Amino acid sequence: MEKMDVVIVGAGLAGLAAAYCLADEGLEILVAEKGDFPGSKNVTGGRIYLNPVRDLFPDLWDEAPLERHVVRERLTMMAETSSTSVELMSNRFDQEPYHSYTVLRAKFDRWLGDKVAEKGAFVIPKSKVDDLVFQDGRVAGIVADGDEIYADVVVAADGVLSLMAEKAGLRKEQEPKHYAVSVKEVIELSRQTIEDRFNLEGDQGLAQLFFGALTQGMMGGGFLYTNLESVSLGLVVGIEALMEKEPKLEVHQMMEDFKQRSEIRPLIAGGEVAEYSAHVITEGGLHAIPKLFGDSILVVGDAAGFGLNMLMTVRGMEYALASGAMAAQAIKRAREQNDFSAASLSYYEQLIKDSFIYKELQTFSHVLSFMENPRLFNLYPQVFCDLFEKLMWIDEQPKQKMSTTVLQELRGNLLNMDTIRDGLNFLKI
Amino acid sequence: MSEILVFCEKDDVAFELVSKGKEFKSALGMSLAAALLGKGAAGKADDYFAYGADKVYVSEDAALVDFTAEAYAEALYQIARKNGAEVLLLGSTKRGKELAPRVAQKLGAGCATDANSVRVEDGKLVADRYALGGNTVSTGAIKTQHKVIAVMPKTFELGPKEARKGEVVDAALGLKAPRIRVVERREKAGEAVNLEEAEAIVCIGRGLEKKEDLGVVEDLAKALGAEIGCTKSLCSDWEWLSEERLVGLSGKKTSPRLCVSVGISGQIQYTVGIRGARIAVAINKDENAPIFTMSDYGIVGNLYEVLPRLTAKLKSL
Amino acid sequence: MNIIVCMKQIPDLQQIRIKERKPVLEGAPLIFGDMDKNALEEAVRIKEKVGEGKITALALGPAKLKDGIKEALAIGADEAVLLLDPAFAGSDSVATANALAKAIQKVGEYDLILCGEGSTDNYPGQVGPRLAEMLDPPQITYVRELEIADGKIKAVRNMEESFEVVEADLPALVTVANEINEPRLASLRQILQAARKPVQTWTPADLGLAEDEVGGKGVAIEVLSNLAPEEARKQVVLTGELDEMIDKLVDSLTKEGVLGR
Repeated sequence: MEKMDVVIVGAGLAGLAAAYCLADEGLEILVAEKGDFPGSKNVTGGRIYLNPVRDLFPDLWDEAPLERHVVRERLTMMAETSSTSVELMSNRFDQEPYHSYTVLRAKFDRWLGDKVAEKGAFVIPKSKVDDLVFQDGRVAGIVADGDEIYADVVVAADGVLSLMAEKAGLRKEQEPKHYAVSVKEVIELSRQTIEDRFNLEGDQGLAQLFFGALTQGMMGGGFLYTNLESVSLGLVVGIEALMEKEPKLEVHQMMEDFKQRSEIRPLIAGGEVAEYSAHVITEGGLHAIPKLFGDSILVVGDAAGFGLNMLMTVRGMEYALASGAMAAQAIKRAREQNDFSAASLSYYEQLIKDSFIYKELQTFSHVLSFMENPRLFNLYPQVFCDLFEKLMWIDEQPKQKMSTTVLQELRGNLLNMDTIRDGLNFLKI
Repeated sequence: MSEILVFCEKDDVAFELVSKGKEFKSALGMSLAAALLGKGAAGKADDYFAYGADKVYVSEDAALVDFTAEAYAEALYQIARKNGAEVLLLGSTKRGKELAPRVAQKLGAGCATDANSVRVEDGKLVADRYALGGNTVSTGAIKTQHKVIAVMPKTFELGPKEARKGEVVDAALGLKAPRIRVVERREKAGEAVNLEEAEAIVCIGRGLEKKEDLGVVEDLAKALGAEIGCTKSLCSDWEWLSEERLVGLSGKKTSPRLCVSVGISGQIQYTVGIRGARIAVAINKDENAPIFTMSDYGIVGNLYEVLPRLTAKLKSL
Repeated sequence: MNIIVCMKQIPDLQQIRIKERKPVLEGAPLIFGDMDKNALEEAVRIKEKVGEGKITALALGPAKLKDGIKEALAIGADEAVLLLDPAFAGSDSVATANALAKAIQKVGEYDLILCGEGSTDNYPGQVGPRLAEMLDPPQITYVRELEIADGKIKAVRNMEESFEVVEADLPALVTVANEINEPRLASLRQILQAARKPVQTWTPADLGLAEDEVGGKGVAIEVLSNLAPEEARKQVVLTGELDEMIDKLVDSLTKEGVLGR
């Protein structure tokens, strides 16, 4: 009979963070990862914001294999055959300590996994956990490959469709509207090419978000992040929207169309696709959080629904790291009192509620309903881009007053109750 | 003058080595000799001279009756030592490959096995071999004074046979009885199929669902006048075809005019075997299969649909 | 029954990439070669059959091997001896065999040394025969089936034209072929237990070897180049309906002059 102090299911950021914080205590920790190595099954756009988590892992960040620090932020609204972008170039973002880096999970998670293993925890890949072991109604361990491994506490860090949370009865019914599917390609380009094409120097990076025609009227968007020697390009589409779309559209095809757009094609020309991945993303925010703890079990990271679309940016990695650290804190406290009951572990929820994670989820809880508005993806970008086009186009006819052009365009398309309602909704975020 | 010493338990491979050895004589400034070992060795001397050996060392010692690496390595070592052989060219047959490193160890020599090209460059003897599972070709020069190179069969062409006479030397070996006893040899029911000489080949892989479906492949092969080859699973694992038909890194390296790969994903262990094909065609239902980048022409489709139609079209020409 | 299994880690060939003809090995995780796993599996089966014994996994490699060897311990090796010293880096077959031979002598008595027929990356197949030459047990290679009884080994060897059945007295050195067995996978529990099995690490000094006898300095072959061959295929993928594609294919092949008996 194999007994560990803590078993963590999933070696993603939340699981590894928890293991990292616990490993110092001389505990027997097992992190069971189903992929071939930590990070092999993890997908992110992606970029990480360091400020909320810098102090949680003070010795890590100097060594961490991060890609470029982001100094250019671009937001692009896409219409059928045109797009409009707003770009921020900030010298402040270019001053150390940098607040945000692009990241490649296969590299980052693997490195973090090694760090955790160095500290003495067992990080074991290719181990799929199939079930929980229950004793007297409480979680007592896990089942992997038919083997039962017992533990004082299990941490469910197994990602967005957490099997462990489900087995523990903590997860509610999953609604399609709380999830999106994302496809992503990592396209290799030389450093010089990236610096030339995106106007960057040294290790500076660019992060770009897209919304509009690229998702064919469905809820979603696109992203582009510059890494040191590659570009992460992808798009996200809401699952409910995908299910309801007629005729059916293939996300894979949408990605191909996106890559062919005149804005995108030259940016990735000559690049080699080194990685192709797809993943489910949590979009439900506050509405999709399961119960976070039970007797001898805690839920962290994406498994706990800690992901947020803040429109201007997307959050997930810092939430995972922070929730892992908080779970570790709760477990340490439980050990001191030798009490791993739900009551004792509820301390974890307390920590979460007091943290930036919960506060932000609350603040932005209206984003989901705001984003369910199809006009956001097909009407507004089109109208705006058409207007911009009209303003910039010089004809044989003498050019009219700007205000005339503007009023003409907007009156035709936007003067109605829907728009007014949308405007009011916008104020909520 | 030092010597190039040739040996292979298969005479036809040895003749290839002798033929090439002739070329190295002037480049390396060495004479060329061959070792003839085992029962009936003495009778083969004439052919070795005809292909170019200046000398043959003969031994029919009792210890050499069965091929054992320990006895044959010791035999070659003693011959090499006594006669100043610096370069040993062996055949990289299975026996050759277990023999070469052992002789090399005795001589304190570096050894290259499975060489598929040997040449003299800048006064150095260099050998090529596949590396990294067939992904690359590694070119190396042995640094030690003695050099042992085991060469893949059919790497060298047989030279012309000339009417020549050479010196026959009794090797006078002192060998211990080998400690391996050969109890039995079960002949393999091999087929007389020679993929290395075939002008056209149709190779079938794991895309074939069952052995009974081979008919559709045989029909295409007949229509093309082609031999049938296969990947490892079909012969070694499932035994649907004999190992003679294995094409790839651990099988035959072919160089036909035309090779058609059917239901084969195109991993490097296989494609190494068709690099020599003038035109390569691939048929596979997965458009992302790597075989398409290793082929000149490809059809993405189900082999069960494509093959019959293709066969019919060929027959109608 | 003391069995020594010689193992080596190589970059996972499925994960290496070729960039401008050069092999890119970083990012490819290190794994044990297929035939090394077969050798270890055979050792475990022999021990299970005989009912007792000790299996020592012996390996030379980089520091990461300390982690990698856990897999061998999980599958059934009782202990491991590792040669990790940076001085061993850059070893080829010759340097590796020299170091392993000394290590085996230090391990002591053995009934059987098991190796893979060759390592899956470059398949030189040299270490087994070289070890046999240095340590002098009978050498039996290409084994696809073996049986141990009464201090003797009987093995079926896969040769080109025949299956050769041979016999010898133990101790012996055997190299195994891929088809000898199907290696088992270690369970999570076995992996956790592996952490408690003894692992020794020996330096060149422990083996009585001078620094210039090991690693890159003990190498016998100078590698002049290691590049992917030029790939000059046309890579034309035909399009259209099935019959169209077939017509196009036959046309192209006719033009190329490769159709014709």
